[in-house]
Amino acid sequence: MSDLEHLKELIGERKEMAEFLDEALSAVEQSDSLESLERVRVEMLGKKGKVSAIFRGIPSLPPSERPVLGEIANTLRRVLSDEIARKKSVLLAEEEREKLSEAALDVTLPGRRKRLGHKHLLSSVIDEIISIFLTLGYRVEEGPEIELDYYNFEALNQPAYHPARSLQDSFYVKRRDPEKNYPDDVLLRTHTSPVQIRVMESDSPPLYVVSPGKAYRRDEVDATHSAVFHQVEGFAVDRDINMGHLKGTLEVFIKKLFGEKREARFRPHFFPFTEPSAEMDISCFACSGKGCALCKGSGWLEIMGCGMIDPNVFGYVSYDPERFSGFAFGMGVERIAQLKYGIDDMRVFFENDTRFLEQF
Amino acid sequence: MRVSLEWLRDYVDITPSPSKLADILSMSGTSVERIEELASGVSGVIVGEVKRVENHPSSDRLRIAVTWDGKEEKKIVCGAPNLEVGMKVALALPGATFPSIGKEKLEKRVIRGIESWGMLLSGAELGISDDQSGILELPHDAPPGEDLRNYLSLDDVVFELEITPNRPDCMSMLGVAREIAALTGKKLSAPRCEVAESSEPAERLAKVEVENLEGCDRYTAKVITGVRVGPSPAWMQRRLHAVGLRSVNNVVDVTNYVMMELGQPLHAFDLNKVARKTIIVRNARPGEQLMTLDGVERQLNEKFLVIADFDEPIALAGIMGGEGTQVTDATTDVLLEAAHFNSVDILTASKRLGMRTDASSRFERGTDPLGTVLAARRAAALIKEVAGGEVAHGEIDISTRPIFPVEIELRTETVGRLLGLDISGEEIQKLLEPIELKVRRNGNVLHVEIPTFRVDLEREVDLVEEIARIYGYGRIPSFIPGGGGAKSGLTKRQKLENKVTELLISEGLSGVVAYSFILSRDLDLLLIPPGDRLRDCVAILNPLAETGELMRTTMLPGLMRVSLANMRRGNDDLAIFEKGRVFFSRGEQEHPLEIPQVGILLHGRREPLSWLEQERKFDFYDLKGMVENLIEGIGTVPPSFDSFSLPYAIPGRSTGVFLEGKLAGYLCQLLPEVVSGFGLSGDFYACELLLEELLDAANEEAQFKPFSRYPSVKVDVAFVVDDDLQSARLEDEIRRSGGDILFRVELFDVYKGPQLPPGKKSLAYSLQFSSPERTLTDEEVNSQLDLIIENAGKALGATIRGREQPNGQQS
Repeated sequence: MSDLEHLKELIGERKEMAEFLDEALSAVEQSDSLESLERVRVEMLGKKGKVSAIFRGIPSLPPSERPVLGEIANTLRRVLSDEIARKKSVLLAEEEREKLSEAALDVTLPGRRKRLGHKHLLSSVIDEIISIFLTLGYRVEEGPEIELDYYNFEALNQPAYHPARSLQDSFYVKRRDPEKNYPDDVLLRTHTSPVQIRVMESDSPPLYVVSPGKAYRRDEVDATHSAVFHQVEGFAVDRDINMGHLKGTLEVFIKKLFGEKREARFRPHFFPFTEPSAEMDISCFACSGKGCALCKGSGWLEIMGCGMIDPNVFGYVSYDPERFSGFAFGMGVERIAQLKYGIDDMRVFFENDTRFLEQF
Repeated sequence: MRVSLEWLRDYVDITPSPSKLADILSMSGTSVERIEELASGVSGVIVGEVKRVENHPSSDRLRIAVTWDGKEEKKIVCGAPNLEVGMKVALALPGATFPSIGKEKLEKRVIRGIESWGMLLSGAELGISDDQSGILELPHDAPPGEDLRNYLSLDDVVFELEITPNRPDCMSMLGVAREIAALTGKKLSAPRCEVAESSEPAERLAKVEVENLEGCDRYTAKVITGVRVGPSPAWMQRRLHAVGLRSVNNVVDVTNYVMMELGQPLHAFDLNKVARKTIIVRNARPGEQLMTLDGVERQLNEKFLVIADFDEPIALAGIMGGEGTQVTDATTDVLLEAAHFNSVDILTASKRLGMRTDASSRFERGTDPLGTVLAARRAAALIKEVAGGEVAHGEIDISTRPIFPVEIELRTETVGRLLGLDISGEEIQKLLEPIELKVRRNGNVLHVEIPTFRVDLEREVDLVEEIARIYGYGRIPSFIPGGGGAKSGLTKRQKLENKVTELLISEGLSGVVAYSFILSRDLDLLLIPPGDRLRDCVAILNPLAETGELMRTTMLPGLMRVSLANMRRGNDDLAIFEKGRVFFSRGEQEHPLEIPQVGILLHGRREPLSWLEQERKFDFYDLKGMVENLIEGIGTVPPSFDSFSLPYAIPGRSTGVFLEGKLAGYLCQLLPEVVSGFGLSGDFYACELLLEELLDAANEEAQFKPFSRYPSVKVDVAFVVDDDLQSARLEDEIRRSGGDILFRVELFDVYKGPQLPPGKKSLAYSLQFSSPERTLTDEEVNSQLDLIIENAGKALGATIRGREQPNGQQS
């Protein structure tokens, strides 16, 4: 039983007392400032206050009334001082809030920001490609950017008279002996495919490998060409790898990279290092296959070259093509980034304008 | 290559629509790049016959052609010089449309007082050739009144094809028709290559010698005498125009026509201009020259294979003929050449000369060694048809060896293994025979005979591709292989490398990708002295002027150029990093070295401009803090820093970064003259770190280090030391003397000024102590601090400026 309930029970039918209690409680409740509350306190509980007056009146009461009245007065004093303390803490909190609200902030002012760093879009796209292949059980290998002709061309079944080996298309390393300059044995790799050979040379199947990196071609720089560009090469060599595995893997890849709705198709093509070879197209983003300017009306966008690793390539690394088979694929990172993010000029990637860098 | 659908229909019945056909071709490896509808702009043009030619009363140049349109005679004013009575012409009637007038309609007009009821058109006006020298002459049997669109099959569709280098057999109408026939289940009908010949043997009219049998293993010549050179018939002009070839004259056009038809390049010589009527296939002699048909004087040497007459070269073998022996209007006797050249020789020569022609592009990929005779006969027959003359009997045919089709053994098991298909020998046979591969089955082994025009089919696996191609890649079922198991995923080092990138980005740096090239001038701008390691560059033999001739040995030029590009565009603040490689030459014998690096460049404001803060520019310690965070973030041992002299850095504002005593990079402020050399101004802070050193020093397997659970005691103490003392030395001393109970040392103030003696500075540290076993007493902390102060005084001459009493402040 709370003090207040106890008090009301004690007061019982004493009408004057009951009225006083109501009056006192409402005076406390209605105080709207610490000052007015203090006035109420003095009026009620001060030396000359009303509760003191009750105490003072007790001796003049009949003896039978005195103990009851004494208990009433004591309880009353306790109840009122509790109420006043409670009210005081409410008023104090209000006052505090009022003071604080005077220092209100303009919440629309900009916050204190640190400079935010950004990953280059090409790095993000490479990371995304790699992460998909990691889930498919691949590992990542890198190779040198300055390559030997052997790895860049010869071991990839590109005979000496292949057009890609001409001076026009590749950057060759200058040698002191000018007789060695051309046809030369050191050049900037024209694709990431040499990594295939290097990994196969140093390891044995099963191999599931992706290899991102820079490649170089002697193209004048414009909206669609860059002398430096990025590729991701991938290959799998295992027992009983067949063309269905190539298709399944790349179909999963493009759906993960470009979304569930993208369809893939494979067209026969020619690459010296694969047989059969294929070009993979994906259904156009812009028109979903109906035909538009982006896909030049075909409904399909060329996305990468791929195929079953040519037995001649296995010959260079002494793998038995009767025991092992494999597939390989290679994609241009810039092209994928351009398609995925709607970038029509390749130069954007290499200019590194902060307004480009900060977008992604 | 362009192919005409109308032309293809000579050899195969085409039922699918053009777009469907394009799809079928593309999906079988003959990619259709573009579909072009031809001459859709011609209407109201009919075959006319010129009945009479009258003079124009008021013009010498103009005449009046009275032309029969099948029903009546029409008077047409015409200025063409080749107008003749009896000629069959292209008659445009009023209301007609054709390409040269665009969307307009032809109207009846009065020309110099004479009403003209239409117009006689040239090949150029019709859009079927480039010829605008006169009106188009139609064959004599052309029926007057017939719509020219039907008569000349003007409503043609042309496919632009991408022929892959392995398929020279598809560089002809017949080759493409063969594909279409196989893919659509139709029969292929090859052109007839028979010709009525005179009794005069060809050998008596000309002589052929092949000196270089390696370069030319077959040379077939046919002789036609008494030809009348003139324009080709309209149908031939139209077809050549459709596939992108210019009409020259009837004889030359036939050689081009047959090349397009069969894929065998041909050349026609004016036999009377060939010295002693002798053809010699040989290598050029040093100093010999040849004026080729494109009007360029070519300097030859012994590396070039030429066709010569008795005296001198008259053609570049397989590439282009010479001007001196070309067929002209005056030519009467023709020697037709159909040869088989070594593909590598042709490719090499065409590259050396920078000349790629329709002929060379076929020879360099490989032509059918058995195709020369048929092509020569076909061309002779056509020349006789369109230019008259007599075809001499037989052909002069020189060949080194008999050529037989090869046979390849194909196991059905291989097909299944490589394609993931369960396919029978019988099914395989059905796929291969339509492309003219003869199959003999012997259980699960198929013996496949390869026609000589398929130079690309040499191995079993080549046949597997043919099967997949004809079967359809799309029908091969998809699977996902198992993956590399334990060998899959990123290595710890690769994960750590990714973390480096993340940490740099969390420092507010943005990644850039620069070219790997620099200019040697860049090294001069960086004041790199001669002989410095940074000058051991890998040089490019054939650089592009715009990108630079050296492989970079430092990332600075690239980062500076990124800055310049941004500054010029008003992007004034820059905080960038690049992760990439630098390259060092190791002399002639060793392969160049590639070193992965991280480069950082800071310039301008540290934070975006803000109302809250005073603008603050990047400084040396911003860069240093980033490097310290990076190194701590990947968990290496604490780095040490020491002054480090760099040619491009402000003296006293550069430091080496050392990990476990090994140099792992530097950071510095660039000299103003270096900055201005790159066209920039202001303060630039740069850093290059060796990624391998960072990763080597990183603790890949970090273990938990227990720490005290008892309250710690914090004490501030300020030392006065000589101004030139490196703070790191004092800090090292504090840590050493602090013993096991000192766990945190933070420098919170550096002061130099009037309150200190000259040449002195004050370094104020907040030190924190705790014990793993119990709560430390003030006495214990005080005595440890006394020891620190005593040792710092002894070792470094440090004195105490202020010392706080331990306050037992709890952390």
